[in-house]
Amino acid sequence: MIELQGLTKSYAGTNVVDDVSLTLETGEFGVLIGPSGCGKSTTLKMINRLVPLSGGRIILNGDDVTDLPAEQLRRRIGYAIQSTGLFPHWSVAQNIATVPQLLKWPKSRIDDRVDELMAMFHLDPVEFRHKYPHQLSGGQAQRVGVARALAADPEMLLMDEPFGAVDPLTREVLQAELKRVHQQTGKTIVFVTHDMDEALQLATRIALLNGGRLVQYDRPIEMMVKPADDFVREFIGQADLGLKLLSRRWVHQYQRAPSLEHHATLPGLDHCWQLDDAGRPVALEGARLDDDHGVTPVKAEWTAKPEMSLKEALSRMVWYRVMVLPVVDDAGKLIGEIGMQGIMGIQAEAEGRVS
Amino acid sequence: MNGAIHGARRLRAASAGNGVLGVLIVLLIGLTLGMGQLEPLFRALFPDLGNPLYARDSFLNLMLAHIGLVLMSSLISVTIGVAAGLFVTRPVGREFEPMVSSLAAIGQTFPPAAVLAIAVPLAGFGFAPTIIALSLYGLLPVIQNTIAGLGTVPQTTLEAARGNGMNRWQILRRVELPLAMPVIIAGIRISVIVNIGTATIGSTVGAKSLGTPLIAGLVGNNLAYVIQGALLVGLLAIVTDLLFERLERRYSFGG
Repeated sequence: MIELQGLTKSYAGTNVVDDVSLTLETGEFGVLIGPSGCGKSTTLKMINRLVPLSGGRIILNGDDVTDLPAEQLRRRIGYAIQSTGLFPHWSVAQNIATVPQLLKWPKSRIDDRVDELMAMFHLDPVEFRHKYPHQLSGGQAQRVGVARALAADPEMLLMDEPFGAVDPLTREVLQAELKRVHQQTGKTIVFVTHDMDEALQLATRIALLNGGRLVQYDRPIEMMVKPADDFVREFIGQADLGLKLLSRRWVHQYQRAPSLEHHATLPGLDHCWQLDDAGRPVALEGARLDDDHGVTPVKAEWTAKPEMSLKEALSRMVWYRVMVLPVVDDAGKLIGEIGMQGIMGIQAEAEGRVS
Repeated sequence: MNGAIHGARRLRAASAGNGVLGVLIVLLIGLTLGMGQLEPLFRALFPDLGNPLYARDSFLNLMLAHIGLVLMSSLISVTIGVAAGLFVTRPVGREFEPMVSSLAAIGQTFPPAAVLAIAVPLAGFGFAPTIIALSLYGLLPVIQNTIAGLGTVPQTTLEAARGNGMNRWQILRRVELPLAMPVIIAGIRISVIVNIGTATIGSTVGAKSLGTPLIAGLVGNNLAYVIQGALLVGLLAIVTDLLFERLERRYSFGG
């Protein structure tokens, strides 16, 4: 758990961070976000004291961070920045081993830990152990940076716009990976970004800063449906708010039992799945936008997985012109379906919250 | 694939370099020990000279004295230069940076002969004033390149080093110095090569070096002496330069 209490940083009489207080529970993923110059990066760097505090306190798992020697504190907190933060003269393995080396772990333990982390980030140790940062792609370098931050099993992880320098495609992959690693390790993470989609994708808590002040600290959905003021509303963006909401909802929350025979109760939406012997969906009868009674062969591109976001499910429905997607497990077996009604259902719920 | 071709090409270039270096080293040692064997050649080239081979001292002695002068003065230049470069790039010494840089630049603009002239009344004749002049003269490239080399270390790399819990000493030793090393070595290379040439004028104040036959030849109008001294100084400089090139390559990584 980390608590910021009245955190303040002033340069030449101006407060770039002004009386920021918030608490992040152990295992949460906190995102600091705001326009440039809002003090989000400075706030992050005060946690590991790369920037000295002007006022206030930071309590990390019960310890006031200013009571600890700075180097010792930083070895307890993982720190990841853009890929250029890798040591260019050290191999991938040496880079990952930075903090364990400083902590003087025995060599065999360091080697095991490096292998473990490389496996966690899908970097083949044989291929990558001895490569140098300049031989890596942006995505690979960034994985090494996060692996380095996690190496000594720190109490928490600080990440300063770690995916700012990679292309959008790689960024999505890295975000998904970070999310998985967060779930696997249960680490408390504080993450700085200026990208609201990234925040909504990753955060369990979002702190929105403006001009050094904390404007709103909330769960992502609350921030969308109950913005504290016009600034928050504007910063989140209203044009695709519905889609943003869908991006925080998951298929498994809204899927229902698959329809295996025709029902005439829903005119226009009547449909039925054809299965093969292994229980995999083969074709969809009905429920097409352009043809109510036709038979559509099921393609892997428009099946849904339980952990998929509703936004992606909706996108597939629109693209493949079907009103319902089969939800399949890893073996491809039909375990449910997600329909337009399920997706629209959450809209009603969100509006209900606002009123 | 591309990297492999590049690597092979570099390997071939390096082995060709090894060949040249080997030949030059053999030539340098051979001429130092066996200059006497060339007496008939010099006699044929300079029939008017009664004494076409410098014989007041062995060339081995002169070579060792010359290397000693250069080693000693370079050691002083490097020690002071790197220390000064490190000092002015630390937070405590940052405000001294302009002063140190301009002092070193002034040291460079003084002709070494002038420094010798000033050093002689202070340190007497011989070895000591030569060392003073050479050390001062070799200081600038070392200081400049130390500052420049440390300046090339990216800010994000330093922040990562701090953020991962390295203390100042660990950052210097594990990150800054290794990354600055190729540039610092390039500075030492310039300093040493310049001093190999400049050390010859130490002979004007009585320091034994390869300049001794050179000066004697100039004073006594004996071109053979001048050639013998200059040949060895030139070879020594080229061999040293090639050795430094290989050292730099070893310390540079990646591309």
